[in-house]
Parts: sequence; structure tokens; C-alpha cells
Amino acid sequence: MTGLAWRRVRARRIPHIRVGPWLGIFVLFAGWELAGRLLTDAFVLAAPSDILRYLSTEWQLMTRALWVTLGNAAAGFVIGNLAALSLAGLALVWPRSERVVTGLALLVFCLPLVATGPILRVFFGPGSGPQIVLAALAVYYTTLIPLLVGLRAAPDSWFDLVRSYGRGRFAALVHVRAMAALPYLFTGLQIAAPAAFLGAMVGEFTGAERGMGVLTIRALRALDVDMTWALATVATAVAIFAYLAIGALARRVLLAEPPVILATPMSDSAKRTAWRDAGLVAACAIMAWAGAIWLFDLNPFFAKGPGQVFDALFLASDAQQTRTVLGDALTETALFLVPGYLAGLLAGAGLAVMLVLVPALSSIAMPLAIALRSVPIVTTAPLVVLLLGRGATGTITLVAVMVFFPTLVACLHGLRQTPGQVLDVFDSYAAGPFTRLIRVRIPAMLPAFFAAARMAVPASVLAVTVAEWLATGAGIGSLMALSASLSDYDMLWSSVVIVSVLSAVGYALVSVIERRVLARYAPEQLS
Amino acid sequence: MMRKNLTRRTVLGTGAAAAGAAAFGMMPKRASAQTAVSLQLSWLHSSQFAGSYIAQDQGWWSEAGLEVSLLPGGPNAPVEPPVVAGTALMGISAADYTAAAVAEGAPFKILGVAMQKNPFVVTSLPTNPVNEPADLVGKRIGMALANTPVLQALCTINGVDIDGIEIVPTQYSAQPLLAGEVDCLLSWETDLPVAMAMQGVEALTMLMADHGYSVHSQTYIATEDSLANRRAELVALMSGEARGWQAYREDTDAAAELTLAMYPDAGLDLETQKLQAARQVPLMFSELTDANGFGWWTDETVAANIETLALLGRSVTPDLWDRSILEEVHGT
Repeated sequence: MTGLAWRRVRARRIPHIRVGPWLGIFVLFAGWELAGRLLTDAFVLAAPSDILRYLSTEWQLMTRALWVTLGNAAAGFVIGNLAALSLAGLALVWPRSERVVTGLALLVFCLPLVATGPILRVFFGPGSGPQIVLAALAVYYTTLIPLLVGLRAAPDSWFDLVRSYGRGRFAALVHVRAMAALPYLFTGLQIAAPAAFLGAMVGEFTGAERGMGVLTIRALRALDVDMTWALATVATAVAIFAYLAIGALARRVLLAEPPVILATPMSDSAKRTAWRDAGLVAACAIMAWAGAIWLFDLNPFFAKGPGQVFDALFLASDAQQTRTVLGDALTETALFLVPGYLAGLLAGAGLAVMLVLVPALSSIAMPLAIALRSVPIVTTAPLVVLLLGRGATGTITLVAVMVFFPTLVACLHGLRQTPGQVLDVFDSYAAGPFTRLIRVRIPAMLPAFFAAARMAVPASVLAVTVAEWLATGAGIGSLMALSASLSDYDMLWSSVVIVSVLSAVGYALVSVIERRVLARYAPEQLS
Repeated sequence: MMRKNLTRRTVLGTGAAAAGAAAFGMMPKRASAQTAVSLQLSWLHSSQFAGSYIAQDQGWWSEAGLEVSLLPGGPNAPVEPPVVAGTALMGISAADYTAAAVAEGAPFKILGVAMQKNPFVVTSLPTNPVNEPADLVGKRIGMALANTPVLQALCTINGVDIDGIEIVPTQYSAQPLLAGEVDCLLSWETDLPVAMAMQGVEALTMLMADHGYSVHSQTYIATEDSLANRRAELVALMSGEARGWQAYREDTDAAAELTLAMYPDAGLDLETQKLQAARQVPLMFSELTDANGFGWWTDETVAANIETLALLGRSVTPDLWDRSILEEVHGT
């Protein structure tokens, strides 16, 4: 295909914002304004005009707070993504380690914020340490996973070419893998930007002097609806800007069209080592856990080791009761988590497909989708629950929103990875848009979709625990917050272990389904 | 234990460990006469702690050779771990939280009681008032489920059947009351009712302490180890607190203004802070403190606390309280 023809296809496929959408955004804001004015007495929603008025009087305070949080988020973003790059590098240099590396990375990513925050605060003392670490923890995994997918997303023939020139794995890395991974890396970075900001804000909940998170707590307590929404608006605007900036950068850097990947199905030798790898991950995790407590000499009052947690769960006289409390809380949480997770996945993939079929929708749907995801959950969790009620709907919606956006971004990206040549073949047979969708685009989307579905497991756990902690006061999120305030650290660490392990199990379940499906549609991913 | 800490950290020899140790305030003492100590507050900076700000601002601590850091708290910042770990020499807790921590093995003593009366109130609107515990029957109360033992204790003390009250789990906000989702809220005297007043809604508050709920709040805690080995610092710290809070009482408006001046980034509103500062006074000062000094308690108030704590499922003995530091501060 010539460059010109490719450009035409691209232009047709990737919708750009034109005049029409501005009308959509205008209607959106007008509706918001109206709703804000109608609901003044409910202390739930501030109209855009109220937010502007607030920002115009308090812009100095807001700028200072934004600067602090943004600085911490940026530091965490850089550290987290560098960590992701090095982990991906390790997995590549030493392929056998990949499953253990990703397994450990997953466990760390699954550690609930509610529990890690106070421990990081004690460890770092006053300052920005916990904010930066929580921001880094919030991003490294969502970059690592797409990166690992991308590093494999190259046709075998390219590797053959490198080998036929007598070059080794390093040349393949530089010339093939790195190039193939770039689009995936940018997707990861785009998802990471709002996550870093959220991590920095939650870090401020552990005792900080200034920042957007500090102001959010103040605004919620003071019933200052204008301030709450002003904070949410500024945080959202920053996240959208970061998202768009990374997207723009990606468009300047990524000029190559996606390649056709035809690979032979792999043998299932990997399956045999899965259990061994899982055991290795568990052993490494337990050693790192006990080792960290010993190395930093953390006080046994709040730092419980593997032995103590085992004791609390199985041997202590009240072990039965501890298990019952945990089980009840987990059941309560699962009732919100599972429907929210599935709804978010469906909505994300569904909207991505819709946007490809009806590109005109994109200009309204995308800004709204980005805004929904970028609004920091810590400001929105109480608001969403206020709007939708304290029942299941509010929490399920929150979980769905957290899952929805990364899925949408990943699926859109996956749909775009459809090789032009394959589409040309279908065009030449005059295949309609649905045929192309079912037979080409969706199969091309599947690796990205499953990567998103896997990453959405920890993200949805984060969403549900934060909502329970800050808003509904139910489930495991609330149990962890309560255990921390009542110094019941045995219960807290037991919860952390169980939440992390269950998240990892959920992730593994998604992986099993993924392997089944990809074995048919994208076997190059199953090396 | 702290000495062991230092050596192991030193052995690590990494920058991170050094930074950690510095943050923990465990670096070797500096050549200057000032000793660095930290006071862990229980919430974000606000006039809730303005007495401490006055002591800091007036230089009463530096006169006594202390360089005090006031560490802010937050929704995810329990007070007890930094005090146990030694990051903070003293922390601001409450008798129920301290009792829970002690039951889990923390070696704490209560050294002083800033809030003589527990700040928990039932907040209601004048059109549907809750003036005494019996009024709760038939009402919907908005509160965190975690606080059910508090309501249970109030009901037991006053002979009210808790089954007659509908508990609606809500987040800590006045919004459900204003929206009519509940008839009353379990809150503090000094936050949600103040927020409502600033929004032009004058709420009724029933102070639970006036109905037999005796739990010392904003209590100063330290470890037994500090009490044995760092007495001079504790006395100097507490002495500054006592002077600061006395000055606070004399002019709460000035205390609120100082709070905003010292923490301009906390997003505080001056009028709200003035009102909060004023409403805090009756909780902190009583005939008991007038007679004996700031932070005081007697065997009787401790006995009342032990009784209420037992209703909350916490069994404690009077030796959880240690008055030796206060006695030195007030020269009795």
C-alpha cells in the first residue's frame, strides 16, 4: 500500500474532532449547569458557573495545591514507569523470569492503598515519600503489562530477517521489539497519567500539609460543594491534558502501520510450569515480606509478618472469628465488585466497537470517557454514592467507571492495530463494515482487550475498596480502614494478604480464559 | 529498641535508609542545644490544634530547648504507629483508640486530656429535634456503622432501646441530614455542625458527654519507654501545650487567625475556624481544669471513662493514665 493510500485509510479510521462535537460539549455543560442550579439545596452538585466563581477567587490556593500534587504525581509517574521498563527489560533478557516478575509485580500492585498508606507514612516520616511511592505504585503495572504484550507483537518474519543478517537478540530488541512495543508503551503511559495523580492524592490522606488531596478532605467535610467540584474539575482537567499530550506525542512518534502477525500456535509446555511459577511467586513474596520487616526493623505492633498472619488466621483462639469477619466482608465486597467489573469491561469494549462503526460519536464520547476516568475517585466516590444512593448502584457504577476507561482505550488501540493489508483484502471482496468488524477488527483487538481485562482486576479492587472506605462503610475496604484506626493490625494484614491473593487469583482466571481465546486468534502472544 | 534500629539502619548504609532514619528523627543529636521532637496530630491542620500553634509561634518550645514538628494527620493516618515507632514523641489520640492499641500490645500511657468532654454529639434540625437520648427512638440516624458501639453505649447508659433507632450507614458528611435522608447524625460538636452553621443552617446538638458518655478525647499519649527515658522532653512539650491552650482560651479568634497564617495551604476559611475554635472551648476547659490546670483528670473521671470504655468492649485499668508529666508541668 502506498503512503498516500495508507493516510487515507487512517484518516477514515481515526476520527478527528471537528465542529460538531463542540456542540455536544456545549450541550453537556449546559445540562450540567442546569442540574447544578436545580440541585443547589441538596449539597451534591456544583454548576460550572459556581466552579468558575470559586476558581477565580481561590486560584492562588488552588495553584499552590496543584503544583505540590502535580510534582509528586510526576515524580511517581517517572519512577513507576522506569520501574516498569526495567522489569520488562528483565523479563526480556531472562525470559524464564517473566512469569515470576509479573506475578510479583501483580501482588505488589494489588496491595490495597488503605493499608499501604499508613505503613509508608511511618516508614518515610513527614514529607512527600508516601505520595510519590503511591503514585509510582499506581502506574508501574499498567505500563508493564502493555509493554510486555508489545514486545512480542511482531511478526516472526521480522525476527527471521534479523537472524538472517546474523544479528542476535539485542539487535532484535532494538530494531524489532522496541519499535513494536512503542504503541503499547504509549497506551500504558496514557492510562498511567490519571492514575499517578490519584495515587499522589491518596498519599496525602496519610498526613500531608498541602496538596489537592488535603483540600479535598477539607472540602468534603466542610460541605463546600463548590470547592469539592472545583478540585475535581482541576484534577480532571490536568489528567485530560496529560492524556491528550501523551496521545499527541504518540501520534508524532508512531508513524509505522501495524504489521500482519501470523504465528504458529505454541506448544503447551508453558502450562506445565505455571504451577511451579505460582509457587515461586508465593515463596518470593513471603520472603520479601518477612525480609523487609526484618531489614527495616519495622515495629511488630503494626508490622505483622507472614507467621503472625498465619497465626491470626489459623492458630489463634479467635482465628475462627477472624475468618468469619473477613469472609463476610469479602462476600459483601464481591457483590459490588463482580457486576461492576463485568459491566465496565462490556461498556469499554462495546463503546470502542461503536466508535469504530460510527466515528462521529467519538468526538462526544471520548472527552466524556476521559473525563469520567480522570476525575479522581477519592473526590468522586462520595459524590457518586450521594447521587446514586448508598445501595449497590453507586458502588457498582464506580467500579464500572474505573474498569471502563482503560478497557476503552486498550480496545480502541487494539482495533487500530488491524493490519491495513488484511482490510484491503476484505475491501477487495466488498465486505461490509460488520463483516470486517467480526472477522478482522475484533480478533485484532483481542490481545489488547485481554490485557485490559487483566489489568482491570486490580483496578476494580482499588475502586471498590476506596468506595467502601470513603463512602459506603461496608465490605473489606471499610474493614481495613476500621482495623487500622482500632490498631487491629493482625486483621489489617490478614485483609491485605487475602485481598492481594484474591486479586491475583482473579487475574489468573482471566489469563486462563485469555489463553484459550488467544490460542485461536493471536497465538504469537502465547510464547 | 531504637538503638538497635539505628545500628541496623546504619549497617544498611544506603541513602534510602539514611533518609528513613532522618525522617524517623533518629539521627544522632545535633551539636545545637535544640532537641528535635515531633507531635503527631490526629487530623489535618486546623484550629482543632491551635493551642499547639500558639506555643510554636510564641517560641515557648524553643525556649525550652525543643524544636517541635507538628505532624498533620488525615483520614488514612492513624496516630498510634508513628508514636510506637518513635517517629513522634507524643501523639494526640483518644481514650477509646488508645485502649484498643494497648489491647494490641502498644505500650502507651495517657499523659494529658485536652478534651475533658467527648466531642461526639447527635446533630439534628430544630424542626425535628433530638434534645435527649430518649428522643432518638423512632428516628433515622446517619453514621458510620463502625460507630455502632458508641450509640449502643449511649443507649445502655440512658436506658434507651437501640432497636427503636434506625441506623442509616452514611459517610461523614452533613449532606444526608440536609437532604432529609436521615433525621439526625452522629458527629463531632466541632465539625459538621460548624459546617452547617456556615451554610446558614443552625443545627441542634446533643452532647453525648452530657448524657453519661465519658470518653476522654484528644488525649496526649506516649510510650512507656519515652516516659522512662525522655521525661524532660515530654515535660517541655506538655508545658508548651498547657501555655498554648491557655492563650488559646483567652482569644480564640486570634488563635483561628494564627492557624490560617501558619497553614495558608490548608484551604481553611477564617470564619469557620473562628466558630470551630470558640465551640471547642467548653469541651476543653472545666472547673476541674480551672482548679488544677490544662489537661487534668481525677480518679473519678478516670473511673467514669473505664465504665464507658467497658460498654465499648474495652477493658482498661486506671494505670493507663499517668499524671506524672502533668504534675511536673503544673508544679503540684
